[in-house]
Amino acid sequence: MHISNIFLAMILLSVLLSLKSNRLAALVKLVAFQGIVVSAVPLVLNTAHGLSFSLIMFFLILVLVKGLLIPALMFIAVNKVVTSREIEPIIGYHASLFAGLIMIVLSVYITNSLHSINYPIYIANHPHLADFAANHKLLLVTGITTMGSGLILLMTRRKAITQVIGYLMMENGIYLIGTALAKVVHAQYVVEFAVLLDLLVAVLVMGIVLNNINHTFDDVDTALLGQLKD
Amino acid sequence: MLQFVFIIPLIAGIAVFFLPVKTGRVVLLSTAVIHAFFTTMEWFKLTGPLQTRYFSNSPEGMLLLAILSFLFIFISLYTVFYMSEVEMSKEPTFNGCMLLFLSAMSMVTIADHIIMFWVAVEATTLMSAPLIFIRRSKESLEATWKYVLICSVGIALALLGCFFVIFSMEISDIHVRISFTSLYAIAPQLNPLWLKAGFIFIVIGYGTKVGLAPMHTWLPDAHSESPTPASALLSGALLNCAFLGVYRCHQLMFAAGLGEYSSNVLIAFGLASMLVSAVFILNQKDYKRMLAYSSIENMGIITIGIGIGGLAAFGAMLHIIHHSLIKSSLFLSAGNMLLGYGTKLIDKTGGVLRLFPKTGITFFAGFVGISGFPPFGLFISELLIILGAIKAGRYVTVSIFIFSLILIFAGAAKLVMQMIFKDNENDEILVPDKWPRALPPIILLLTSLVLTIWLPDSIYQTIQNVISSIGGPVNG
Repeated sequence: MHISNIFLAMILLSVLLSLKSNRLAALVKLVAFQGIVVSAVPLVLNTAHGLSFSLIMFFLILVLVKGLLIPALMFIAVNKVVTSREIEPIIGYHASLFAGLIMIVLSVYITNSLHSINYPIYIANHPHLADFAANHKLLLVTGITTMGSGLILLMTRRKAITQVIGYLMMENGIYLIGTALAKVVHAQYVVEFAVLLDLLVAVLVMGIVLNNINHTFDDVDTALLGQLKD
Repeated sequence: MLQFVFIIPLIAGIAVFFLPVKTGRVVLLSTAVIHAFFTTMEWFKLTGPLQTRYFSNSPEGMLLLAILSFLFIFISLYTVFYMSEVEMSKEPTFNGCMLLFLSAMSMVTIADHIIMFWVAVEATTLMSAPLIFIRRSKESLEATWKYVLICSVGIALALLGCFFVIFSMEISDIHVRISFTSLYAIAPQLNPLWLKAGFIFIVIGYGTKVGLAPMHTWLPDAHSESPTPASALLSGALLNCAFLGVYRCHQLMFAAGLGEYSSNVLIAFGLASMLVSAVFILNQKDYKRMLAYSSIENMGIITIGIGIGGLAAFGAMLHIIHHSLIKSSLFLSAGNMLLGYGTKLIDKTGGVLRLFPKTGITFFAGFVGISGFPPFGLFISELLIILGAIKAGRYVTVSIFIFSLILIFAGAAKLVMQMIFKDNENDEILVPDKWPRALPPIILLLTSLVLTIWLPDSIYQTIQNVISSIGGPVNG
């Protein structure tokens, strides 16, 4: 068994836990953990080809941003909020957990059907990548599940902080899918940095807006945001 | 150098955060002029190497950059006078973010690398968010939250789409730079299945930012709650920049021989946007929201025009130019009215023409323009789109298109007539009409007028270059 599978299993576990958790602080910790594991995946996948200095540097920066800076920003926001629990989600915790499980099944189905169409050509073109392609399959499953569960979190929770965490999970999922599909991008560090910078600024801006919402409404419940309608 | 168009506003923008208010205004204006200078240099190709690793000057990018630069001069002029009359506690933040926003949008217009383009579009969202919630009212916070979250999620989906497009290249065992220009060259070899999937995700992603229905829900809130200069910039420039992403991908599909598929997708989204705005504009109570829905309609028209191609694509490009000019002018006039009346409710704003003669005239003229009447350019562009659609044999599209146009005109006309001619209960004016604030909208309208009568050859040629990649020239 390839070592990357352990990492992917940990990501899936963190996804399921976050769907069930109702404490905001626990959610931030989960997303920090997930960020670190997700950043490590390209590193682990590449062990066969040897580790380069730039790859390790990039891993460290990813961990710094996804595992440290972003969670720290989120913790500042959580500490200022009075009620630190998610109250009355639009879909209950058991139901969201169930939806997460269905999401896993669904992504296995999607990945399998994509593979049966495309991978024969791919492996025929790159015979030495057969092993890599097999790993890809699980990577893709994990990526799609993480992205889908992030969307579930984003849409079914009321606290603005949980919505940001949903967005971060979605972004993690897309990063994994990118790792599986678009290897070229990961070789271009300038581009990767730019994407990472965007993510960091996005969380910063969301954090500022969050703080203002908390200040103005005395809560971060998005149910309070309902004045603009047609 | 091409990159100057975004590097200079970036540096100036950061500087403005730390400068005193008065100096900040000077920097804002002078950066607008310098930006225009570099844009002119690029437009006439007076600079050195035009293609770098991540950037290039494509004709469509140059067209949008020129519009952006032109608009920004007058909007920043307006901002300076506007700021001296409203009290905004965080003015340096506002001016600084305006410049950062300009920088991000300029980067969108020249980005060539697929992922760099994505980075720039996401940056426009982030840089414009502070502009919207600068007043910190409950409504503006709600609008910003919706804007940031919906657009970020939408754009994240576009990133997924970009990965699919890149995979369609990798799976066919081709290795070129993942920039739009190099992908066009090898487009026929791309894997069509993944390309189609990528296109759908990119249209949904960037379409969220363009304001295509049904992903438009953030747009009326953000455009109506932000301060006037920001609304004008959002509507006149940002929507175009986001549309560039959809357009470039359509070009790629066309080059890959999947043009018909992508055309149909674009037309469907465009028609949906027109219908949605037709329904929501009818009973609008807020005039800035009314203008925002009109933006959704116009972006729908542009999308349809590009989807149909040929003559209609030429019309769509003209539509982009004139819509930007007229809509920003309308938002600036609306801002003058908002200052004068202190309310955005249509019911409480009567007799604009009598109370604010200058603004009343520009608002009315702008309304005539946006409804597609001569002598303004939208008349020609909409006519070209209709003719192009008939020539292409898309009769259903044409019927829905004309039906929505009529519905929107009827709905908006009722509201605008009420604002302009009905008498107000009290003639209380908070801030009187002044020339400095009335002049920028007038100039924008006059520009549209001039471009309708006389379209300079270089613009004509640029538009021809733009649309040559999606179904050829218009002659014939």
